[in-house]
Amino acid sequence: MFTAFDPLLIATALLIMVVGTRRRWSFWRKGRSENRPGDWKGLSGYLLFQKKILKGGWGGIAHMVLFWGVLIPLVVIVLAQFAFVMRPGPAHALAFILDLAGAAAMAGVLFFLVRRAARSFKTSGVSSEMPWPAALLFLILLSGFIAQGTRLNLVPAPFWTAPVGWLFSRVSPSSPLALQLAIRLHFFAVLGLFALLPFTSLRHVPAGALNVYYRRKGPRGVLRPVSFEKGPLGAKSTADLTWKQLLEAEACVSCGRCEQNCPAFLSGKKLSPRNLMGKIFKQLEAPESSLAGEAVSLEEIWSCTTCMACVAHCPLYIEPMDKVVDMRRYEILGKGAAPVEARPMLRDLELFGDVNGKGISRRTDWALNLGVPILSATSEQPQVLLWIGCSGAFHPKYRETARNMVKILKRAGVSFAILGGEEGCCGDPARRLGEESLFLDLARKNILRWQRHCFKKIVALCPHCFNTLKNEYPVVAEKMGTEARTEIEVVHASEFLLNIIEGKQITLKYPVKGQAAIHDPCYLGRANGIYAPLRKIVKAIPGLSLRELERSGEKGFCCGGGGGGMWLHETKGVHINGLRAAEIAGSGVGLVSTACPYCLTMLEDGLNALELERPIKVEDIIDIVSGSLG
Amino acid sequence: MRIIVCVKQICQVYARSGMDPRSWFVAPEDKVYRVNPFDEAALQLAAKVKGALARTEIRLLTLGPLIAEAELRRGVAMAGADELIQLVSQTAPDPWAKSLILARAVKMIGADLVLCGKEALDTRHGQVGAFLARHLEVPFVSSIKNLEISPDGATAKVERSARKGVGEIWESPVPAVFSVDIGRDALPYPSNEAKKRAEALPLRIRSFSDEPVPLTTHLGIEPPRPRPIKIPAPDSSLPAFERVGQLFLGSRIEKKGLILSGTPESQVEGIVSFLRDHSLLK
Repeated sequence: MFTAFDPLLIATALLIMVVGTRRRWSFWRKGRSENRPGDWKGLSGYLLFQKKILKGGWGGIAHMVLFWGVLIPLVVIVLAQFAFVMRPGPAHALAFILDLAGAAAMAGVLFFLVRRAARSFKTSGVSSEMPWPAALLFLILLSGFIAQGTRLNLVPAPFWTAPVGWLFSRVSPSSPLALQLAIRLHFFAVLGLFALLPFTSLRHVPAGALNVYYRRKGPRGVLRPVSFEKGPLGAKSTADLTWKQLLEAEACVSCGRCEQNCPAFLSGKKLSPRNLMGKIFKQLEAPESSLAGEAVSLEEIWSCTTCMACVAHCPLYIEPMDKVVDMRRYEILGKGAAPVEARPMLRDLELFGDVNGKGISRRTDWALNLGVPILSATSEQPQVLLWIGCSGAFHPKYRETARNMVKILKRAGVSFAILGGEEGCCGDPARRLGEESLFLDLARKNILRWQRHCFKKIVALCPHCFNTLKNEYPVVAEKMGTEARTEIEVVHASEFLLNIIEGKQITLKYPVKGQAAIHDPCYLGRANGIYAPLRKIVKAIPGLSLRELERSGEKGFCCGGGGGGMWLHETKGVHINGLRAAEIAGSGVGLVSTACPYCLTMLEDGLNALELERPIKVEDIIDIVSGSLG
Repeated sequence: MRIIVCVKQICQVYARSGMDPRSWFVAPEDKVYRVNPFDEAALQLAAKVKGALARTEIRLLTLGPLIAEAELRRGVAMAGADELIQLVSQTAPDPWAKSLILARAVKMIGADLVLCGKEALDTRHGQVGAFLARHLEVPFVSSIKNLEISPDGATAKVERSARKGVGEIWESPVPAVFSVDIGRDALPYPSNEAKKRAEALPLRIRSFSDEPVPLTTHLGIEPPRPRPIKIPAPDSSLPAFERVGQLFLGSRIEKKGLILSGTPESQVEGIVSFLRDHSLLK
């Protein structure tokens, strides 16, 4: 089959591929250093089962069949070039498998081509790259089947060995010349595909696999720390991103799953995580040109709610969110260009240590006359430390929730205490807005205050505090030195409530009638994977039935309050909380349960703005439990 | 153009949560040491002029001990100031004597424009700016909200708000003294680099051998009437004298009381159990 010329052709194609790949990889390898352990087991499991990709519906299935439908024939045909004799039985079976695999790949590639054509009629949601790889794959498969059909015409074989090939044999010619032509076309197209690999979106095959190999372990809600000692703060251009972040841009195939779940994009903001990755990719070759503020507009940078929907939905474990945060860091730390609406809040954090600017003296006002024990140097070690957070201490509605939590804990006989004036803002709003130095300041103060007291477990009311205390404080504490306490266990109030309900420490006696929907807070769900407690508690409450919203669990939709969104104005498009409120109103529930002060406020505002005839109540899970408490 | 901004470090008492009448119910954590917000507005205007006019330098002048150095340096970073000068005075002067000390320093440094806050949040005299203008014998406009210097640096156009919603625009020759009110624009946010530079800026300390004589004498402070943050009805089981005493004690009145929440059924049960516990119901 081989002519003398063919090895040369193969070598050329492979050379083009290797040189092209080396050139592309030289771009992302120039990124700033970062320590990332690799994971062979994770990668092989990912490639084998493609669970993450399969979450995307038909596209995922098409990818699966295309992947195996290309890989199996590729391996078999390459091996078949080393002509060895096989008995007719196994040979027929192999031919059958090859035929099926080819048909599967054909279906997959047709799906992608049709989807691509359908999407290009819409203005958005389509990549700017031409679908050359898919077209080439189609050509490969078509020429392969025609060759098979022609061969079947020339050398008949049992029908079942190649059903699809048999179908093609009906329309294929039966001349040796045609067979040779089809095989040559097939061969050249395969070589073309290999040569084109680094220059088209096919580069996601090596880069994506590598990105999965180096993917994040542990909770999603942890941001990369800023090194204040060396280099510019935040990301002004792609030169300031780490190699992992650049590799992600290299691996992105613009599938658009991030965009379809991004609250900012869906509410009509300019930000699209997919376009963001595309912009970073374009700038890979020109790392000097400015990214933040130029290629990526300020509107895009400030309309992210850091809800991590893009991170959760990316089939290739790409994290567009942390690039947004890095650009925010450059805007605030590097340029001092904090958004005007957020400046008073940041100033309050600096001066008073809380987002409301009320000061530590007023931090225990919510607990007036409630007999809430405040932890002091002399008091006994409580079972749990209740972390109230700024919202619990100052927000008029969430103060009630804090009081309800106290009521539940007292009823359950749990010994608890609060830090009172020694509790400061955890620093989450500052950090998600990019004010890393303020966050570090607040975090260090809190960690130092913790050292004065004796406690082992923190129950946090707010998911943002919870995520920060649990995942981000250990990193800060580690840098502070050995004295910092890192062994403290942090749980969210909903987990703790579920524990005491399941431990029969409280009885839920009074029924709450109706149906409740659950709005998953991003920093509880997507950031830390805690979905079950809210649902189990709602089911445990007599009379209350659970109704899942269309977007819930990992697909949960942000309320618009995270990432400093609580303090930023939404000037473009519609309000994010309005979108979520409309979804809730459409589901026909009478009660929405959430577990986050931001969600509570944003959803209440959104639902009030709808002016429904039958208003829908928004309550924290703590309020619902306390209302039903016997 | 050289702009001098007079900045006062104040101790802002934002709450009275203490229990001790001798300290007027001010607990240590009720205080925040910061730069007077009106002076921060003055820094903002100075930064604005610096941004618009080439070869402008800003010098920060502060009188008295450094009680809020970090905040002062944040102000330096915010305005992009080039020098930080502390004036040390042995006595606790009145506004007249303060303005005399400041005027001496301003004359020594030499300035085309002096900006200060319209008043300090802690003492609320609002006199130093006017007195300073008198000592320097230059024009004075009070409570300005915006400032524009002509390109040749000879005149200044200022905006001030006269009464509700009415703005006034004035022009004044330079050098002049303006006192600044908080305007519409958000304060600039210092970048990390500016903060670092401000932290490294050396502090120049100046003192004068002969202290000016105050015209008035400060005799004492009348403490504010204690104002409770939340007044629940005083405990009716106590005698009237103690109830009044409770109100006067101010911020924290401990009162036994129970607010029921939850479903109507649980509230009813709460009332019943309360009555049972107090043997009002058998």
